Amino acid sequence: MTEIKQGDIVLQARGITKRYPGLVANDHIDFEIRAGEIHAILGENGAGKTTLMSILFGLTHPDEGEIYVFGKKVNFRSPLDAIDLGIGMVHQARKLISAHTVLENILLGHPHAGAILDMKKTAEEVKQLCDAYGYKIDLNAKVWHLSEGEKQMVEILKALYRGAKILIMDEPTSALAPPETEKLLETIQLMTKNELAIVPFITHKLPIVLSVSQRVTVLRRGKIVARLNTAEATEQSLAMEMIGREVLFNLKRPDVKIGKPILQVENISVHDDKDYWAARNISFEVREGEIFGIAGVSGNGQQPLAEALAGLRKASAGRVLFENKDITRLSSLERWKKGIGYIPSEQRAVGSIGDFSLVENLLMSYYYDDQFVKWGLIDAKKIRQLTQELIEEYNVATPNPDVKARNLSGGNLQKMILARVFSRKPRLIIANLPTQGLDVGAMEFVQNKLLEEKKAGAGILLISEDLDEIMALSDRIAPMYEGEFMDILPGGSAQRETVGALMAGHKQKAVQA
Amino acid sequence: MWEFWIRSLNASTIFAIAGLGEVVGQRAGVMNVGVEGAMLFGATIGFIVAKTTGSYLLGFLAGIAIGALIGLLHAFFTITLHGDQVVNGMGIWILGFGLTTYIGSPYAGPLGMGRIPTIGGLSPFFFAALVLTFVIWFVLFKTHWGLKIRSVGENPTVAEVSGINVVRTRYWSVIFSGAMMGLAGAVYALDYNPVWSYNLLMGWGFIALALVFFSMWNPYILLSGAVLFGALWQVSLNPESFLPNIFSRYIWRTFPFVITIIILVIMSTHWFSSRWGAAKPEALGLPYEKD
Ligand SMILES: Nc1ncnc2c1ncn2[C@@H]1O[C@H](COP(=O)(O)OP(=O)(O)OP(=O)(O)O)[C@@H](O)[C@H]1O
Ligand SMILES: [Mg+2]
Repeated sequence: MTEIKQGDIVLQARGITKRYPGLVANDHIDFEIRAGEIHAILGENGAGKTTLMSILFGLTHPDEGEIYVFGKKVNFRSPLDAIDLGIGMVHQARKLISAHTVLENILLGHPHAGAILDMKKTAEEVKQLCDAYGYKIDLNAKVWHLSEGEKQMVEILKALYRGAKILIMDEPTSALAPPETEKLLETIQLMTKNELAIVPFITHKLPIVLSVSQRVTVLRRGKIVARLNTAEATEQSLAMEMIGREVLFNLKRPDVKIGKPILQVENISVHDDKDYWAARNISFEVREGEIFGIAGVSGNGQQPLAEALAGLRKASAGRVLFENKDITRLSSLERWKKGIGYIPSEQRAVGSIGDFSLVENLLMSYYYDDQFVKWGLIDAKKIRQLTQELIEEYNVATPNPDVKARNLSGGNLQKMILARVFSRKPRLIIANLPTQGLDVGAMEFVQNKLLEEKKAGAGILLISEDLDEIMALSDRIAPMYEGEFMDILPGGSAQRETVGALMAGHKQKAVQA
Repeated sequence: MWEFWIRSLNASTIFAIAGLGEVVGQRAGVMNVGVEGAMLFGATIGFIVAKTTGSYLLGFLAGIAIGALIGLLHAFFTITLHGDQVVNGMGIWILGFGLTTYIGSPYAGPLGMGRIPTIGGLSPFFFAALVLTFVIWFVLFKTHWGLKIRSVGENPTVAEVSGINVVRTRYWSVIFSGAMMGLAGAVYALDYNPVWSYNLLMGWGFIALALVFFSMWNPYILLSGAVLFGALWQVSLNPESFLPNIFSRYIWRTFPFVITIIILVIMSTHWFSSRWGAAKPEALGLPYEKD
């Protein structure tokens, strides 16, 4: 192989086409990546970004088209072929085996792993990689013990340890907390300097695209609609290219009269799966027409707290009142019936059943409703029609309502889940990371939906890691750190810096500031 | 007493060999509840071949081969055709039961060959089982092969994107697993009790299957479980001589299953899983379909 210089074309795709029943996910895509560049790929939810990357990684076979890697034509039969040529991928959904250790995950399928695994040698080599990128991670820990950010480190380490020269990252930041995101961006910039990696990088976060990438390719409905140098782009112009219309980056918060309390939480404490304290002694209330925002980096107890309020986890202590009635002991179903809606953060694991169609997924919020189920019989026509209507209203990109949920792109699945929860007209909405993985257009849509619900008088508990989202939407903000509320601040007058510092656990500093 | 332990250990040899086979298959995500059927095939074919050729070696090889073939069949139906593993396993049991009764009946009676020499009363296969336990543990936890096997059983999608050929890995694991069951059956019919009779295994395959869950998919625990179950079986043969008038032998025979159920219950508790994680291979029983 000849020496690769910065700027050389290392990967080229020509005329890549992939059709799924009823839609063309990739439509004659021509695309190339150069050595040492960070190449951002943008596009709405369902535009075909993940499909294209899976094709480049050998995970999906294109119906048409050719791929050239380092100038040679290739025909990937499986990811192994791509890995052998130095292509690595960090997937949109984490792809690690939770029961295995970090090292085992890194070694799995490694072409040079001997028949008998030399754990000691591997550990040393991986340690060196860790040091190079400033990663700190226990290599013998089981993956299920790790945080989202650590899992991602493992995926990157795995790709690098296999000698990846081209690293495909599909929404690497969507599950990361702000400091983890910064760390990641540092890492990939370092990689391109080391001439080690050429990174196509998919994301919905436009500021990230602007700050780290050199070139941008924009997809819309399976076609490339723009190729730009990042230097010439702005947030507005990128959004415009992506969805073909302007996106307003500042939301208008409607003036809504805040009513009486809907949800009252009194000294609630919750344990997590490992039996540790997750949230301790938390009290607050959410009122009619109010958005109460919990700001925090993932893993600080928001998830168990939300689950406890939704009735999916037992509270170890404390009381929850809904419209002045004690619901602490009610099951989740009884809570749904009373008018609580829950948007879980894990869309694939908790929010939907992958092998069920969209109609059946919607039914999960309607099976207890006499209008749709009579004498135990499902009114199939009615629920199908409702699904159809919601697909249209929420602009879900899918050929028909009988598609399996797992075939929906991340963003579209999220829209479907929102549609299901909102269409029940809940009095209280617990929204756990509702815009995670959504494109800017869809994000705007969801945020406006939340505001609409607020206008209609619903109380909303918004849990988010996105400081901008919290600041823009919330009437009151509770920064959460290590299972406790650091403070409860009024949304209108709170300073971004103060909230940021509090959610990082700097109580002292925030008070002085 | 000595006699009792010798008999127990010889019985546990058979549980262990069949159980180890099943562990490998289940670690790769494929359950074969037809252990009994595969063992019946190994026992009967091994018996017939040994009796007609007069060669123990050929008998054991035939037992292993027929077991591997049953494994291949199971692999084909469950992996390639995405059939339900439990249903197919039941099929193997019923098929094994019926077919071996049919082909074995003309050979009913003792083997009529010189007994395989023992080492202080212990079958040489007992020592083979010890070695196999170590080897299988080593392969599963210390080699790349084992890592691949465990990975396709935990999460085949992840294995696939890591460059593992899921189908091939599962096939080999299930074939190996069948071969071990065939061997276990042959050891029973050629060494432990060299007489062919109707339903000669009396449910030993099911004890081996229970043993796998008891072992939490760990070869060493499996070996100790095999010894325990072997002893329980011996007690059940002659309960009066140990604990007169307590339980009938049929109650004693349920003990391995009762113990296994208790272990399974403990394993499924929050208390257990929050400390040690899920012991069960996550993808066990699920067919793998590539998108
Ligand atoms: N296996 C499949 N079967 C049928 N349709 C599929 C399949 N995989 C993807 N699709 C469809 O192809 C289109 C492109 O999906 P893809 O996952 O590539 O989108 P994306 O750009 O990555 O979106 P997101 O930003 O939401 O992740 C979507 O409409 C999706 O529903
Ligand atoms: Mg995607």
